[in-house]
Amino acid sequence: MAIFLQLLFTGLGIGAIYALVALGFVLLIRAASVVNFAQGQFAMVGAYMLVVCLNVLGLPYLLSMAISVVLMAVFGVIFAGATYWPLRHRGGLPVIISTIGASIFLENIVLFLYGPSPEVLPGLFDSPGIQVGQVFMDSQYLSILVAATLLVVLQYFIFEKTLLGKKLQATSQDKEMASLLGIPVAAMILFTFSYSAMLGGIAGMLVAPVLFVSVGMGGLIALKAFAANIIGGYGSIPGAILGGLALGVAETMGAAYISVPYKDAFAFAMLLMFLAVRPQGLFGEKISEKA
Amino acid sequence: MSLLEIENLTARYSSGAGDVLKGIDVSVEEGEIVALLGANGAGKSTTLRAISGLVPHVGGSIKLGGVPLFGQGVEAIVRLGVAHVPEGRRVFPGLTVAENIMLGASNRTGLGRAEMMREVDEKFELFPDLVRLRDALGWTLSGGQLQMVAVARGLMAKPRVLLLDEPSLGLAPLIVQQVFKIVAEIRRRGTTVLLVEQNANVALSVADRGYVLETGRVLVSGKPEDLWKDPQVRAAYLGGHAIA
Ligand SMILES: Nc1ncnc2c1ncn2[C@@H]1O[C@H](COP(=O)(O)OP(=O)(O)O)[C@@H](O)[C@H]1O
Ligand SMILES: [Mg+2]
Repeated sequence: MAIFLQLLFTGLGIGAIYALVALGFVLLIRAASVVNFAQGQFAMVGAYMLVVCLNVLGLPYLLSMAISVVLMAVFGVIFAGATYWPLRHRGGLPVIISTIGASIFLENIVLFLYGPSPEVLPGLFDSPGIQVGQVFMDSQYLSILVAATLLVVLQYFIFEKTLLGKKLQATSQDKEMASLLGIPVAAMILFTFSYSAMLGGIAGMLVAPVLFVSVGMGGLIALKAFAANIIGGYGSIPGAILGGLALGVAETMGAAYISVPYKDAFAFAMLLMFLAVRPQGLFGEKISEKA
Repeated sequence: MSLLEIENLTARYSSGAGDVLKGIDVSVEEGEIVALLGANGAGKSTTLRAISGLVPHVGGSIKLGGVPLFGQGVEAIVRLGVAHVPEGRRVFPGLTVAENIMLGASNRTGLGRAEMMREVDEKFELFPDLVRLRDALGWTLSGGQLQMVAVARGLMAKPRVLLLDEPSLGLAPLIVQQVFKIVAEIRRRGTTVLLVEQNANVALSVADRGYVLETGRVLVSGKPEDLWKDPQVRAAYLGGHAIA
């Protein structure tokens, strides 16, 4: 039981990372009908921003994170301007191709600027963690869980309790109607890109001390986030969160109880199982509700 | 000068072959209800969409209170005072009735959520049937309820002219009567309405003037009683909808 709880804690921590990336992915699908294949690279870019602030500029940890988050928000707008804006009237496929191109570009530009050697980042806290009953709560995993929870609560507040949130929802449900009401649709979409890049970037910063920071780190994270979306229900916001958490727990348990080398295979086995048995995912939504 | 002045309007869709509108002239005076009639495909919706800036290729001119609308963005045109209640109602399915109506005020700058919601509550006075549906989501509503929400949402813009596209479409006769009672009441309270309808009977019962469109041209225009008298119009367009 102790081991199980320990694994559950770790699995939720890593699952929260997938959930944050998946959440950014879903928001773009809903707001702009964009399937962003560079969502994982948002995490990579965020992690490298933190590396530069901490290791190169030598800034304090929290300040480094704050700067990186702001930079990610700006980065999201630039990303939208480059990949989405020129193609926005051309339908979904051109934009998908353009985000795939952007993902390759981002990996190579970071490789060019920073070099290939992976970086190791310290955790947010000096303390290794705390013992709660039978579970040792690693401080970085704890930070991940607390930060992810705060972000989900913040997002719920923005979307459900503010006028901006209602305008964002209207935009995601019917763009032409939204603009007929005078809602600045372009601004809503840019905001979503910015917010989505921020979520991805924060996920990258949070996971950096747990994994190595490397140019290729985004690819696997994106695949897991995509699987989380299918498992949770394509285009569903609660689905992205629960799908991410479920995936993190499943692969952590699978690695511990079955096989470590096949850790990543569990995510995809779970994805295939859902596609075969319950393709609409945990929170299968009617297409009309996210039109 | 008319409030809304459409001159020699042509319109074409990128995907389509030729002009859908072939030079139409329509004017709407302050305080009027003007009906735009005609068979399916005549170009009625395209006319409204051109006013709102939704049709990419247009010619001629459209002026609201003397201000040319061509070249302005969709959102800018709403801010100038054009509220468009489109075909199919387009109520946001995942938002509540109150939220849908509230967002109708998005064209008015400097309004907060609380102020908008206060106005929504005032709007319910005109739409008593919606009160109990305040927190119902859009996708749960019936056709008549959707139409009421769409009209209420349009009024939240405090428009200089309200464009209504086929409000009667798909509604039971009794509900159509209710909707048009509200249209008449809206005008009584001072809002100018440009009304698109296939259902000529019911449209001409509230309108001050009407235009009959046929394949992108104005066939005939005038007061309802004159339109009724025109034998050509009667035969071709109005007869088909005798007794709504
Ligand atoms: N998005 C579009 N693309 C191409 N053709 C269109 C489009 N919308 C309407 N049309 C064509 O324009 C003509 C007029 O349509 P519309 O204005 O919707 O007519 P009405 O509202 O009077 O029924 C029709 O022949 C229709 O097929
Ligand atoms: Mg029409």
